[in-house]
Amino acid sequence: MNVTIRSRRPSLDEPRRRHRPDYWLPLIAVALLSIGLVVVYAISPGMSALKGVSESYYISKQLIAILLGVAAFIILSKVPYTWWRRAVLPLIIAAIVSAVAVQLFGSRVNGAYRWIQVGGVSFQAAELIKFALLIWMADLLARRKAESRLGNSRLTLQPLVIGMCAIGIVVGVMQSDFGSTAVMVGMAAAMMFVAGVPLKRLAIVGGVIVIGAFLLISTSSYRRERLTTFINPTADCQDAGYQSCQALIAVGSGGMFGLGLARSIQAYGYLPEAANDSIFAILAEKFGFLGVSLIIAAYAVFFGRLTRIIERAPDDFSRLIITGMLAWFSVQTIINIGAMIGLLPLKGITLPFVSYGGTSLLFVTGALGIAFQISRYAALSGKTNDSGATSYDDTAYGRGNRRPYYAAAGRRT
Amino acid sequence: MPIVKRTPQSLSGPSITVSSAKRARIIYGLLLLVSSVFIIRLFYLQVIRHDYYRQAALDYQLKEYQIPAERGVILAHNGSQTTPLVLNETKYTLFADPIYVKEPEKHAVELAAIIQGDAGALVSQLKTPDTRYVVLAKKLSREQHEKINELDIAGIGTREESYRTYPQGSLAAQILGFVNDDGNGQYGIEQALDERLQGVPGELKAITDARGVPLVSNPDNIVTEAQTGEGVTLTIDLGMQRQVEDLLKAGLDRAKSSSGSALIINPNDGAVKAMANYPSYDPANIQNVINLADFSNTAVSSPLEVGSIMKTLTAAAAFDQEVVAPSTSFYDEGFVLIGDRKITNVRYNPGTQTVESVLVNSLNTGAVWLLKQIGRGDINERARLTWYDYMTKHYFLGTTTGIEQAGEAEGYIPSPEDTGYGINVTYANTAFGQALTATPLQMAAAFSAIINGGVYYQPRLVDSYKNADGEENMQAPIIKKRDVVSRQASDNMVGLLQRVVAQNIPAATRAGYSVGGKTGTAEIARPSVEGGGYYSDRFNGTYIGFVGGDRPEYVIIIRVNEPGIPGFAGSAAAAPIFRDVSNMLLDNFGVTPKSQ
Repeated sequence: MNVTIRSRRPSLDEPRRRHRPDYWLPLIAVALLSIGLVVVYAISPGMSALKGVSESYYISKQLIAILLGVAAFIILSKVPYTWWRRAVLPLIIAAIVSAVAVQLFGSRVNGAYRWIQVGGVSFQAAELIKFALLIWMADLLARRKAESRLGNSRLTLQPLVIGMCAIGIVVGVMQSDFGSTAVMVGMAAAMMFVAGVPLKRLAIVGGVIVIGAFLLISTSSYRRERLTTFINPTADCQDAGYQSCQALIAVGSGGMFGLGLARSIQAYGYLPEAANDSIFAILAEKFGFLGVSLIIAAYAVFFGRLTRIIERAPDDFSRLIITGMLAWFSVQTIINIGAMIGLLPLKGITLPFVSYGGTSLLFVTGALGIAFQISRYAALSGKTNDSGATSYDDTAYGRGNRRPYYAAAGRRT
Repeated sequence: MPIVKRTPQSLSGPSITVSSAKRARIIYGLLLLVSSVFIIRLFYLQVIRHDYYRQAALDYQLKEYQIPAERGVILAHNGSQTTPLVLNETKYTLFADPIYVKEPEKHAVELAAIIQGDAGALVSQLKTPDTRYVVLAKKLSREQHEKINELDIAGIGTREESYRTYPQGSLAAQILGFVNDDGNGQYGIEQALDERLQGVPGELKAITDARGVPLVSNPDNIVTEAQTGEGVTLTIDLGMQRQVEDLLKAGLDRAKSSSGSALIINPNDGAVKAMANYPSYDPANIQNVINLADFSNTAVSSPLEVGSIMKTLTAAAAFDQEVVAPSTSFYDEGFVLIGDRKITNVRYNPGTQTVESVLVNSLNTGAVWLLKQIGRGDINERARLTWYDYMTKHYFLGTTTGIEQAGEAEGYIPSPEDTGYGINVTYANTAFGQALTATPLQMAAAFSAIINGGVYYQPRLVDSYKNADGEENMQAPIIKKRDVVSRQASDNMVGLLQRVVAQNIPAATRAGYSVGGKTGTAEIARPSVEGGGYYSDRFNGTYIGFVGGDRPEYVIIIRVNEPGIPGFAGSAAAAPIFRDVSNMLLDNFGVTPKSQ
């Protein structure tokens, strides 16, 4: 893990010329945050009555989380992204400390230690670990790529495999958080893929991950149960499959146009975790097929903007950061929505920007600040090649300036 | 479409064959693919399968509740007015949903202070695992309910529940019966008229939260109002009932008896005016009742061998058959042989007797003689069939009267068929009230018919019903038979019975009024496991009689079980209670005196 900061090239601290950032990112984020806030407000009466807290409990906590998130966004959008290359070691140390603290002082929620209480605020360690992984891998892969040693087993693959194993054990086994582990595996895979790690090597790493996942599932009866209920969710609505079943009911009863903002019923105690992990099902119940299709489209546009920044990134480090972020947000979104519509097994994982929950929101918005910052340095016209210079081939695609990539994708085929 | 050109750089890159941008596009392509799959899946769930999930949602969310109907109240006459005997009262049941109770120890102390309960027991109740509903206390007052609501503890709630309340205390408890925790009437009027009193429960179909609390103003909610049960006004007169209960208790104490009954019925319409048994119970505290028999209205539920009061019915039948007149005389040998069985009187006193002296001296041999007259000279098939017909078709013995009471007994009348087991002896015994059983109410109803001119009124306790709209529905007397005995036979009996009272209990007579009656001292059958036959030292005392002026206005029957004082049970134990009750009626209840 001792990736030394001394060895970095001085030029990394000098990003390219600043220009207008990508305003689509904060715009979509604000839209999703607002939807989340409104829905949390709408289902507050039902949730608070069942939990025995005041009606403003959820909404005030969510407002505070959003304010903190906006602050994190503003601060991180000001910090030059290159600064993070110097923060790799402190971040790794912080991640390890938080993982240890969770095991020592953590509070047990649903049978797993994932949270630490810091002065009345609960903090989810996995979120910090995710963020540390993002920065560390972006730095490591960018460095190896510059050294043309991406395929090097000892210098590149070994540290990554060791790091992923550590995450698998700490987050996957000890914190019993398979969802977050899956997100981090997705992040690592995407970053290695985009960095250009040879596919053969990638396949080896992928094989190791598949074996690891198999072991994780088969050693935990709780996970086995979740997998079997996933295979047949409506068979047993009362026991293990209850949440899946209630989620499907919420989604299905929404219909084409939804029951309306104030008319959802599943949040009144039927659907567990209605405000955080299950919020998508509540959205589907309230806004119907048309509503959630728009929300999925919003995520698609958002991911498209991130992809666009990857294509135009000023350098490999920033490109990999955005790649990791794209994987982070998208895998999390897919796992969350997939579970709610019965396509994936349930994982305790939040829907980025929309779900109630402070830690997740804080890191997601903070990370977005970094992406926003990087978007200031993305190439204005055309895309950059792997080393950050504008490539000729990409201009040959004839895609106009500022046009999102996906818009052209349809035309091209 | 432009063709992708490979740049020299990308070809010459050390280990990179596909550009990063392209790889990012592959990832994004995958994301778009997943998005499409999700949208297709959502279309399937939300549009194609919408009806299925809408129904599944309703299966969970729509709950049906019964809205309990208010139970009808029970009133009784109080002179010219009516007074409630049974009302409803709202009390509160305190319950907990242990899952939501965060600090059981703290809340247990708070609650214990309000409900005057044990905090320790409450803590364990609040910690009950694997349940969503624990009842902590019942029958709390409105004040307690309000105090608990002020505490506003999550997982603690109160529920309104309607309870019966008894403004007159234990008065007429056995007539009334009670309502159990399930809301069902038990014993007495409450059980007999349960359906009318209950009303029709309303129904609420509502979308609820997961705890079952209905969500407000939902168009799927359906409410059917509950329909209040019918109110009942009893024929019972409160004042008479109270005094009869007191007089019965005093009389039983005097006679050193532990149980008995007293009943007043109007012989001219079958209305029961008072019906008391001892011991009784307090309907507000049924949990204190140790002996379940205390719940029974023994005047209707417990038949007995009635003893010599039966002779009044035998004599009336003989008059009706016109085989004797009040002055018809016969020579009594002091005993009578039926086959090989010898029937004797309590005192051996042979001599010439009349129907009147048979009743005055309560001669068993005389009763057998009357039955023989019905058989035109002997106890034979004719005597048996005729007498059986009187007992069952005129006096309606051996069958329930149909009074509005739960658990009414039929009694037992032996079949007149000769099966070779001494049927004539059995029938000779029935002539003086042995070998058959009847309830005091059956006897009072039959006796009413033989002194009112021969009309059998079905005894009844309900004067009127009042439906939920307040409409009063008066109950007319029910005549079951008009020619029980002839007018002449009835007049004979009224006259004879007055002379019996005048000679046996002069303290019961009063100038200007007519008071008549007859004692009974019944032997108690010995169970066959103890050898059968009758106990030689155990008797029940009975008395049946009437009070009135030109015509009888009240019929009174008294039953004293196994009095502990010397003398004949009928005259020593039951007759004094009759005397007290008849005097009470004459003193306090405006009996119309004779016209001359």
